[in-house]
Amino acid sequence: MRERRRDSLPITFAARAVFLAAVLATLCAGIAGGLARAGVWLPLFESAWAGRAVSAHALLMISGFLGTVIGLERAVAVKRRAAFVAPLCSSFAGLCALAGAASWAAWLAALAAAVFTGVNVLVVSRQRAAHTAVLLGGACAWLVGTLLDALGARSDAVLPWLLSFLVLTIAAERLEMARLMRHRKGALASLLALLAALLLAAAACSFSARWGGLVFGLALMGLASWLLSFDIARRTVFARGLSRYMAMCLLLGYAWLAVSGAAWVGMSFGYGARDAALHALALGFVLSMVMGHAPVILPALTRIKLHYSRWFYLPLVLLHASLVARLAWGSLDAQWKARGAVANVAAIVLFALTMAGAALAWRARHATPRTRERAS
Amino acid sequence: MSVPPFPYTGPESLREPITDALASVIDPEVAMTIVDVGLIYGVTVTDDAVHVRLTMTSAACPVTDLILEDVEDALDRVVDPDMKIEVELVWEPPWSSERMSPRARAFMGW
Repeated sequence: MRERRRDSLPITFAARAVFLAAVLATLCAGIAGGLARAGVWLPLFESAWAGRAVSAHALLMISGFLGTVIGLERAVAVKRRAAFVAPLCSSFAGLCALAGAASWAAWLAALAAAVFTGVNVLVVSRQRAAHTAVLLGGACAWLVGTLLDALGARSDAVLPWLLSFLVLTIAAERLEMARLMRHRKGALASLLALLAALLLAAAACSFSARWGGLVFGLALMGLASWLLSFDIARRTVFARGLSRYMAMCLLLGYAWLAVSGAAWVGMSFGYGARDAALHALALGFVLSMVMGHAPVILPALTRIKLHYSRWFYLPLVLLHASLVARLAWGSLDAQWKARGAVANVAAIVLFALTMAGAALAWRARHATPRTRERAS
Repeated sequence: MSVPPFPYTGPESLREPITDALASVIDPEVAMTIVDVGLIYGVTVTDDAVHVRLTMTSAACPVTDLILEDVEDALDRVVDPDMKIEVELVWEPPWSSERMSPRARAFMGW
């Protein structure tokens, strides 16, 4: 056997299993809290943890789940053991919220965001570029949001910061990829101006939900049109296989980003568009990105390889169709909102099953001839 | 190809198999091979080792290890089993779009 150079961190299987369990518990509880908020009732919602999951839905989903996944992703990239403190803290923040220790949860999330900000300072020091600066901006938005939450600020003031963390993180990654495409002059400057407007609007929401929300929505709509104009997905959607699937996830996500922006604008004029403002962004934009990138990020985090197939489109179609049902008809009829939310969750479960199936398919295809013989 | 895609030092007989092996590693996000994106900075083949210098487009890329592994696996299939495979990740000079191959630039609309 040839000697191989390996410099990946010696993260043990046990440590990975604990992380995975904490992240899954946080995700499941966050989803349960979201279902209850959307008007779905299940017998298990009578327990004490379920009540906490309802009130901590945003913390569980954004800091506990996505913050942990993004923190892990960045820690794997920078290859520093200390960087894993961020996802460790954010996953335990989720568990604390479920255990009823709300204050611990909020401060642990803030600690996670602080460490994550430090990790991003390291990234910027390694590569001084516009996209790494935007990553750092996203980390700072998470830190401000979690600190405001820990200090007891209203959710109207906290949420725009937490959502900005997700939006800037995704925008940074897309900006990095956009370097492969030729741009018009001013494309980078216009993106940075939009992101600056988004952060200023998030800050303004602490003082005026109306004006802050208006600018926040306009910035989201501007960002959506920038991404639809300059993202490489416009090109890679004409490729085949996994690349095309990823591009579809991205382009559909950008459409929802625009819908979310319009809903924020609508909210500032007094329309009841809160569900669309939050979930067109969190489910339509962010979850679509997650579905698109999971086939490459999951193998990087877990070392489990996946085999792409057309089945990947099934959960994606269900997610977007259920979101249309939830946000279009749900605004008129509460039952549709609940049904749509259940179908959103079905899309997430189906996606998890699809990934598990893809892992099995990869193993079957890369089995040794001897194993194949035995299997047949 | 008239212009070599990256500097190569070593026996001519291995140039093509190594280039083809590296060009079999695809970054699915951009739907292109790592050779077309211009990530390979150089290959040096000695009597007992293959040394590849490559970069990534971002220091925050979590897929780096997977790409390095794919490169090692691809080279493993074409070079002598006794040869050592060394894949070195470098950040200098930083990657820029000028490193993309004509095919990649055409695909991305340059």
